[in-house]
Amino acid sequence: MSQLYDMKLLIEQKIKDDKLDAPQVKGKIGLRCGTVLAFISPTTPDDPAKVAKLKTAVKEVLNLNL
Amino acid sequence: MQWNSIRFKLLAALAVCLVLGIGGILAVMHYSFERNSQVLAAESVSAAQRLFTILEAREISKMTAVSETLTMNPEVRDALVAKDRNRLLELTAPLYPKLKSEGITNWMFHTPEPNMTVFLRLHNPAKFGDTLNRFFDQQVARTHAIVSGNELAKAGFAVRIIRPFYDTQGTVTGYVEMGEELGQFIHTMKDQTGSDYGLLLNKKFVDRQFWADSSKVWKRRDNWDDNPNFVVADKTTPTDAIFRFQGDLAGVTDQGKVLERFWSGDSVFVRGLFPVHDAAGHTVGAMFVVRDISAFYLAMRRTQNILVVLAVAPLALGSLLVLTALKRLVFRRLERIIVVATRVVGGDYHTEIQVSSDDEIGQFERLFEQFRCVFVDLLTQPSAAQEKGTAAGR
Repeated sequence: MSQLYDMKLLIEQKIKDDKLDAPQVKGKIGLRCGTVLAFISPTTPDDPAKVAKLKTAVKEVLNLNL
Repeated sequence: MQWNSIRFKLLAALAVCLVLGIGGILAVMHYSFERNSQVLAAESVSAAQRLFTILEAREISKMTAVSETLTMNPEVRDALVAKDRNRLLELTAPLYPKLKSEGITNWMFHTPEPNMTVFLRLHNPAKFGDTLNRFFDQQVARTHAIVSGNELAKAGFAVRIIRPFYDTQGTVTGYVEMGEELGQFIHTMKDQTGSDYGLLLNKKFVDRQFWADSSKVWKRRDNWDDNPNFVVADKTTPTDAIFRFQGDLAGVTDQGKVLERFWSGDSVFVRGLFPVHDAAGHTVGAMFVVRDISAFYLAMRRTQNILVVLAVAPLALGSLLVLTALKRLVFRRLERIIVVATRVVGGDYHTEIQVSSDDEIGQFERLFEQFRCVFVDLLTQPSAAQEKGTAAGR
């Protein structure tokens, strides 16, 4: 599995644990990092730039260090 | 609220308008107060000068009438011709208290020239025989006609008249003189106008020793050293503080002079002075005029406060209305668009943007809803996603 997909799973887990508004949180993260989370699949190749942007977005929106 | 938000910028602009509005009102009110207080001061000086002239003329007229009656009295005339001081005193003394109560405090008879000595002083019968040799005496001796005006003498600064007495052959047998203290005028003037007055005398025309002596006689404080150039001869206030003046009395023009405003506690005064001349035309003193404009000042402050409230209240209400309208018509709808757009990216393809009006934001809402539909359509096309995946794989 790709690192991006792992991160997507962690985000979804966090949303579920905290009972957050999933479309709103995912949308915020997606807009910040420029990636639609729905498009990230286990086969999505890891792009270091995308990974870094996603980490930053998650930190800003969820205050979560991935 | 962020400093770069439209709300903040709008509030800042409204605050600037408010400050400018209040500043403008305060500046206009200040200018108005300055202008009006200057006009009030000038008007007070000219009104006081007119009143002083009227009082002076009235008193001269009164003394002229009394002296005219005296010259027509054969007994008085004969006593003066006979140089019978006791008879003259006997005839006139009963009248003196009545005249004194009417302000005529000085009453003298003089012998004719060349000696022109004081023959009888009704206000001080024990003292006689001295020669005064004032401008008045010289003038009446030269013209043998009534002379009137102000004269600064040992008995004080007074408005006086002097006129000749004639015997049946038309020869001058002596003179009668009457005078009223100018200091009395200021109390009458205060009663009539409510302003305060002070009679200032130029020290050049006042003898230092005389001033010290007369202060003892009148039981007043010797105020000679209070001011460098003048002495306050009489005043209508208990304090000399409001008569502060550093200039030269001789330099005050006939139109008078308006001085700077004066604050004492919560009271505001405008001040000015006009010259007082003696019969010879010398500017021997000045009348100081002090008008309390506290009521006017307070009224102006009240008007200022009302104007400030009238400016602040509508502007604050207007600001509230504008911000509320902006929130309802613009900000809330933009926030809704942002929320929907965010949710679409987050995978919610069902929340639509409601076009709530046909205004500018409504057009944007419609455009964005159309854009959302296209975007959702793209995201939900499996072929597009697959093609994207395939293309990526290749």
